[in-house]
Amino acid sequence: MTSKKTVAAMLILMLVVVPAFLYWLNASYWFGVAGTMMVFAILAVSANLITGTTGLLSLGHAGFYGIGAYTAAMTATAWHWPFYLTIPAAGLAAAAVGILLALPIMRLVGIYFAVATLAVGEIIHVTLLNWVDFTHGPMGISGIPGIALAGVFKSGNLANYFAGAGLLIATVFAVHRLTHSYYGNALRSLREDDQCAQAMGLKVVRIKTEAFAFSCFFAGVAGALWAHTTQYISPGDFRFSESILILAMVVVGGLGSIPGALIGALLLVGLPEVLRPFGDYRMIGVGLVMFLCILFLPRGICGEVSAMALARKHLNAAWKPSQQLGWR
Amino acid sequence: MMETDFLIQQLINGISIGLVYALMAIGFTLIFGVLNVVNFAHGEIYMLGAFVGLLLITTFAPPLFVVIIFVLAFGAVMGLALDRVAFRPFRRFRDEASMKSKAIREATLLSSLALSIVIREGVEKIFGSNMQVVPQDYLLISPVQIGSFSFASGQFLIFGLSMAMLVGLQLLLFKTHIGRSIRAVASNPAGAMYVGIHTENVIMATFAVGSMLGASAGIVVGLYQGAVFPAMGFAPGIKAFVAMVMGGLHSIPGAVICALILGIAETFTTSYLAQGWGDLVAYAFLLLTLIFFPTGIFGAARERV
Amino acid sequence: MLRRTVNEFLAIGLCAFASLASAQNEIAVGYQLPLTGDNSQYGTLFKNSADMALEQFNASGKLPGTKVVIKYEDSKSDAKEGVNIARKFSDDAHILGVIGDFNSTVSMAAGQIYAEQHVPQLSQSASHPDFLKISDWQFRNITTMAVESPFIAKWMAQNNLKHYAVIGIQNDWGQSSVKNFSEEAATLGNEVVDTEFFNPGNRDFRSILTKVARSKPDAIVLFMFYEEAASFLQQRAQMNVQTVVYGGSPLYEPKLLQLAGPAANGLMMPSTFVAQSADASVKAYVEGYRQRYGSEPSMFAAQAYDATNIMLDAIVAAGPEPTRAKVRDALAATHDYPGVTGVTTFDPITREVTKQLNRMIVSDGAYKVIQ
Repeated sequence: MTSKKTVAAMLILMLVVVPAFLYWLNASYWFGVAGTMMVFAILAVSANLITGTTGLLSLGHAGFYGIGAYTAAMTATAWHWPFYLTIPAAGLAAAAVGILLALPIMRLVGIYFAVATLAVGEIIHVTLLNWVDFTHGPMGISGIPGIALAGVFKSGNLANYFAGAGLLIATVFAVHRLTHSYYGNALRSLREDDQCAQAMGLKVVRIKTEAFAFSCFFAGVAGALWAHTTQYISPGDFRFSESILILAMVVVGGLGSIPGALIGALLLVGLPEVLRPFGDYRMIGVGLVMFLCILFLPRGICGEVSAMALARKHLNAAWKPSQQLGWR
Repeated sequence: MMETDFLIQQLINGISIGLVYALMAIGFTLIFGVLNVVNFAHGEIYMLGAFVGLLLITTFAPPLFVVIIFVLAFGAVMGLALDRVAFRPFRRFRDEASMKSKAIREATLLSSLALSIVIREGVEKIFGSNMQVVPQDYLLISPVQIGSFSFASGQFLIFGLSMAMLVGLQLLLFKTHIGRSIRAVASNPAGAMYVGIHTENVIMATFAVGSMLGASAGIVVGLYQGAVFPAMGFAPGIKAFVAMVMGGLHSIPGAVICALILGIAETFTTSYLAQGWGDLVAYAFLLLTLIFFPTGIFGAARERV
Repeated sequence: MLRRTVNEFLAIGLCAFASLASAQNEIAVGYQLPLTGDNSQYGTLFKNSADMALEQFNASGKLPGTKVVIKYEDSKSDAKEGVNIARKFSDDAHILGVIGDFNSTVSMAAGQIYAEQHVPQLSQSASHPDFLKISDWQFRNITTMAVESPFIAKWMAQNNLKHYAVIGIQNDWGQSSVKNFSEEAATLGNEVVDTEFFNPGNRDFRSILTKVARSKPDAIVLFMFYEEAASFLQQRAQMNVQTVVYGGSPLYEPKLLQLAGPAANGLMMPSTFVAQSADASVKAYVEGYRQRYGSEPSMFAAQAYDATNIMLDAIVAAGPEPTRAKVRDALAATHDYPGVTGVTTFDPITREVTKQLNRMIVSDGAYKVIQ
């Protein structure tokens, strides 16, 4: 639970302080890094919804990210849709494909589900790469229009930043409301013991499908944001290694907690940039940092339980003692 | 070439690809079966086995079986080291909540992943990421012509090696004392501890054996394909993982059969569609299998979590 | 603890930026290339050649009083990284021009930034047909497959080969190579009986070989890079497929001979760069490269060498107070530059280059020129 003051402070930081600072720096490099952080933050939050809160390890998240990106790119280049249409369309397309491909595998559990999502992610990637007539295959889609509104604002660093910030805030808000509710508790019960949950009367398969659809929707939105801000996409951006990166963000940050997903995204996008002076040893450094994080903080930097403990300590609220999961 | 000849030749090609995946899947399944964690670094052990074998060949040029024995020993050492660094720190959580916690399980998965990144980047830094040159004498691709079908000598070696591994493991697991302990720990670690089995030693032994198999797979496949490079463990690793799950997590023969199915599916897709779609068909096979067999083809009924 | 680490990161970031801003008066060229990850073997070649070229340039005194440095950044062949690096280079006021990247995907992603920020970009190897269309700030000194593939098709037609099997790698280079080849072959009245694409990373070609052999072509054409080609040639020898093999210019790479051994004999390919050429500048380059790095340079290494020199010369030509715009204009005006890969001129309208291609064959474990 976060107090209103913390939320207000974060919003001011994100919408006023950071863009002002970046604008003053006038460095499009840092704008770019911020943009990438926001795209991956949205991805991490959506992955956290399915892997952290619902407990279904998903190894194919990059595939839905890719579907969102390609939907936005193709509708924008072929039909000239503006960004406020392509982004929701991308989310819906990703969710639709997610439901379609996930329906057969929703009865699977644990590692079987994980491998099935890996298969789904790879199938999507192979299709994007080889269906040359439809997706342009490895040539990619270039010249995607940026985020601009004719007569109101042009595309550019600030437009990209605010679009990203707006989408991130919307995503966090939506996922927060989903998980901090009775529905969220239902998801957590699926994570802890889904046979019990079924015995208690929850429609397990339906809830799993819904959670998966939400998660894919936000992944698609992130993809659309990526397409509009980088203006060139190709299948190589959406491989299995991206899924692993997203999973790493969620685990390092802490499973089941939204602040954890955000911190994980910031860390794993920012770290390679900060370590650039180390040249070739950069990726070794990233791997080592990941390893040490997991070794010393296996529940993640901000895991669900410890976020509660953190909040309790700060707010000094009258709280029932320790192991309490869920929302009340 | 007649149609049946074509089909049989493609079948042979498919089986040889499948056996490459199977070689890796055997060690992978052994480790997963006992520890119930995915060892993402298995592909890197495979790769290290190939590199060390190649180094030995280029420095001393010993006969092939000496190389394999050396790589087996090296694999065992690497396996023990991997266990020590990536997996043992997580065994300190013995309380009920941690053992049921998904977070800890995923953390273990990720720690082996992080380590695999470090190892791969390290090897790349030292050797460069391009394919290493294999001396011509050691390449296992001497053609063997049987009737109108082409084989390579390496294919026979791989087949022989995988059969030896399978049979050897079945003997180990079912006829020896250590094998019984491994099966006990795989079935119920806490229970095994209660009856006096030294689980720590058993886990170390499993890692050693599994990594031995992985490393020897690496050098043999490296010589057969003539391709030794730092990223070589990644793609077969994914296929091995898929084969393991498809076969039912704890069944080694199941993993081998599913690896063969994956290889044959890829080859036949190449024959009638295009190589690019091979992965799609293989994964579609996986999805189909999981729909009809939710716990894998030879898997047991679902465990009570 | 968390707040402290965030502060640390911010501090490091600011320091890095500050150090950039306070550097002394010098001219810099940015070079983005894959030093790790996929394709890092090419990145190493590029860096080798570029270092050599830079050293020779600084020693030659063409730009008295000013030292030129090259700032290398690793793009890992990842478009994300390429875009970040592009932004970083664009923000650095010392950088007057950028060389890079290796493949078209990354070059084009980065190119969007360079076009927007007005930084001249010269790629030594990006051959996507749309690359130069991004803006006036993009250049490349490699002949595209629109020139090379028809050359191969005509060569094969001259050798009386009429039915071809084409095997291409599934990336933008492979796609455009195969397309241009098939179109030219059709114009010459010859037939492509089988086209096979394979995913990058594939090393087992036996099923493709079996399939191709069934269609009984007169020749096989390979549009892939040297590592896959080495595996392909070895497997072809093992499966006893006798059909003659042609390939694209990336196969002019000494490592291919090491990897494939005797299986490579008989392979034919075009190349702009010929290491054994009697030309003085080529000999000097090959000798120098061999002495410094202990290996023979390949076509890609030579491309990087030329690209670096062309960029450096453009900086000199841009006058005593060079700006990015002046460097861009100087690049566009490059005319008859005598490079080791051939005489280079950027077409005034399309900025494409045309070079002379030589016919090469592998015989007795070495590359030889044939007519």
